[in-house]
Amino acid sequence: MKIDAVKTVDEIKKKLHDSGDLKSRTVQFFGTQISLCYIAPITDNELLNNTLIYPLINFSSEIKGKDIVEVLNDRVLANQEVTIFYDLKSAVDKMLAGNTLILVDGADKILGCDLEKITVRAVAEPPTSVVIKGPREGFTESLKFNLALIRKRVKSDDFVVKMFELGKMTKTQIAVVYYDSIADKSVVNDVLKRLKSIKIDGVIDSHYLVSYLQRNKKSLFKQVGDTEKPDILVAKMLEGRVGIIVDGSPIVLTIPFILLEDLQNSDDYYSQPIRVTFVRALRLVGVILAVLLPGIYIALELYHYKILPTEFLITIMNSTQGIPFSPFIEILFVILLFEILYEANIRMPQYFGMAMSIVGALILGETAVNAGLVSPPAVMIVALSGITFYIIPGQASQFSILRLLGVIIGASLGIYGILLFCVFILSYLSNFDSYKSAYLAPTAPYIEEDQKDSYMRKTIDEMKKRPHAIASNESNKIRR
Amino acid sequence: MKINYRQLSIITFMSFIALKFLALPSLLYLESKNMSMFVALALMIIDGLYVFVILDLMKKSGEKNIYEFMKSCLGKVISKIILILLILKYALVIGNISKGLEFFVVENLYSEYNWFVFVLPLMILIGFMIYKGIRNIARVSEMVCWAIVIGLIYIALKALSGIDVLSFLPFFLDGVQPLLNSAYRHISWFGSATFLFMLFGFVDFRSEKKLKMIKYIIFAILIVQLLYFVFYGLFEITSPTHNYCISDISQFSSTYSAIDELSWLVVSMWIVAQAVQLALYSYCLAQALKFLFDIKGNILPIIIVILYLLMWSFIGENTIRMERIFFSHFASIVTLLAQYILPIILEIVYAIKHRKGKNSSKKRVRDENKAKIRDKKEVKVNI
Repeated sequence: MKIDAVKTVDEIKKKLHDSGDLKSRTVQFFGTQISLCYIAPITDNELLNNTLIYPLINFSSEIKGKDIVEVLNDRVLANQEVTIFYDLKSAVDKMLAGNTLILVDGADKILGCDLEKITVRAVAEPPTSVVIKGPREGFTESLKFNLALIRKRVKSDDFVVKMFELGKMTKTQIAVVYYDSIADKSVVNDVLKRLKSIKIDGVIDSHYLVSYLQRNKKSLFKQVGDTEKPDILVAKMLEGRVGIIVDGSPIVLTIPFILLEDLQNSDDYYSQPIRVTFVRALRLVGVILAVLLPGIYIALELYHYKILPTEFLITIMNSTQGIPFSPFIEILFVILLFEILYEANIRMPQYFGMAMSIVGALILGETAVNAGLVSPPAVMIVALSGITFYIIPGQASQFSILRLLGVIIGASLGIYGILLFCVFILSYLSNFDSYKSAYLAPTAPYIEEDQKDSYMRKTIDEMKKRPHAIASNESNKIRR
Repeated sequence: MKINYRQLSIITFMSFIALKFLALPSLLYLESKNMSMFVALALMIIDGLYVFVILDLMKKSGEKNIYEFMKSCLGKVISKIILILLILKYALVIGNISKGLEFFVVENLYSEYNWFVFVLPLMILIGFMIYKGIRNIARVSEMVCWAIVIGLIYIALKALSGIDVLSFLPFFLDGVQPLLNSAYRHISWFGSATFLFMLFGFVDFRSEKKLKMIKYIIFAILIVQLLYFVFYGLFEITSPTHNYCISDISQFSSTYSAIDELSWLVVSMWIVAQAVQLALYSYCLAQALKFLFDIKGNILPIIIVILYLLMWSFIGENTIRMERIFFSHFASIVTLLAQYILPIILEIVYAIKHRKGKNSSKKRVRDENKAKIRDKKEVKVNI
């Protein structure tokens, strides 16, 4: 490769189809032409002026007989990261990622300086994991910034960051992070192998990778964990998990994932253990209510009304009198209404969303009951189930489908059907192992050591070992 | 796809209580009257001892499945005959559980509906669980076990207050003979350890804790005894007319309706227990069929088992009475052979073979040593 400072710039321009944001600047350096080539929107102007243009123009020392590229690299460029490229393609690829190329006339290599302008939004508390006590920092859309947030918490030489690019068109930067002595080697290798084998045009968000990382691709159930907070990611890595950070996404994926993870909350570790145990029990009850309550209600109303207490039965009979629909259609109608309201609510502008929820919840619900379209118990049951979804927000989408199935099964087979449905779900999940970790662990299989932080939580000093449910380096199970 | 020792203990526990709360208590009462509890106690203790005999064989078999192990001990033909015997035992248990479940559901929950509608989802569930293997059944058992136990204890404790302990006295009014007769006639309801044969090669003994298994077996015996005590205490001489122990106890203990709310929900948990047990024995049956006919895949045996299960839903009430007679005679012999004789035979044959093997290896070492000495002498002579 022989560089012609002007012609090579033209070649790059041609390669990028005369892209409007590609800029270049040519300067004379001891009689040799040097071209600087960069993508303006992603290049930091201040850095460009201070570390490249100014030193180039003002350099006055003697360089007779010396290679200009070496002089630039050793004595002129005031930049912390300078890369030498021996082919134009890789140089252009780096330029597209924020490097400024330095093309020296007659040289056989190209210099690249990382002058990427990092545009990040302010660090804010993520809306998906709000805490009362505890760190409020959340990830942003910048991978570099996210790594900085993690590095701030991790000051160990054991922490590993493996970086590579994915996406033919987007060349999105991906970082796989883990603790070398804690994470299970085979899990790390499996994750890296899967990620590197991805052939895709672009990775817009971390969720693009989820289907490549899941074992059961078409399953309803979540198999890859996610978090928006660096403190949670670090805690998960300390248990042996691997994190996957995608540039442009504030959601970091974690592997392996077990069902219990969503039952836990970062707040749990910053509160009193007794309170946490109580809250976790509530969450478990919430899950059961969320998924099964409408189904059980339908089953009781259609098949097993004899077992209801007489007073309750009379109340239900009174309130359902004159309803034009069967109980099944009635519940289905309310669920559908609830789902539509939910979808509309989360996508509406915030100022409008508040008004909408009042209209939806109060006016529509009240009017539907008054008009005799639905009964108050049906509205109450669906509303209660709907609210309890968000006790575990990470599983809300799965729960809504399961609830619908529960209603259909409850209406067609009664309580017997619902019980079989529960056993079926348990049986299905029992075989759902994710990266050497049993999905239902530490309940099935029962792991005694992990009970300290499962449905109940003991104090931090009592949790002396890393969880056995998560595949991790066996020789490093003891925390301290 | 191995299961750990704790899971094995839980499956054993579930198997020990599986058939005990259906028609068995009323059948036992026909002959052994107020001593029925002791018949159950004695047979369950024997079953408990046999668990360890079969587990010992399992450990000796290493990674071999039961068919390979039996073939190495008894030869191919005898092994196949024994497999037929085990198939009969599993088939009988499946029939009994499925019929029990049917009557339980129809009597308690859906008196106006056709059972056939309800059997289809059960078939799907059982088929799925067998397909996924023993680890799946073990993990589900782990999840549901304690809910079932709490339910059973709740029912028993709720009804306990209405029992007159003195009604059990005097003991041994007719001597020991009725107890022995009763034990023999109804032995087919026991033999709770036979499922272990199909788990050869599937158990990870690294976490073995015998005490844990003993605890689970004792716990199963205590729960059965508690419920029998409540059952006989509540119904006394009318016990034989109450065909389904578990539902009848909860109905009798209810104060203001046929079944009160909580009891009803608790009783419903029994459906889960039966479904899991059905899956366990269906898995055993599918495995035995696989070994008997050298079937390679899993699908065909599963289809056969499912069709067999479906067949039971066509058998009506009258046939069930015949089946009970059948259970008291033919099934007793099958159970005696499959659970109580077979493990002993296998232990003896294994011991003899092992000793022979030891002897032959000793002889081989001796011969080799002699040969070495002879060679040395020959070398000296040559020098």
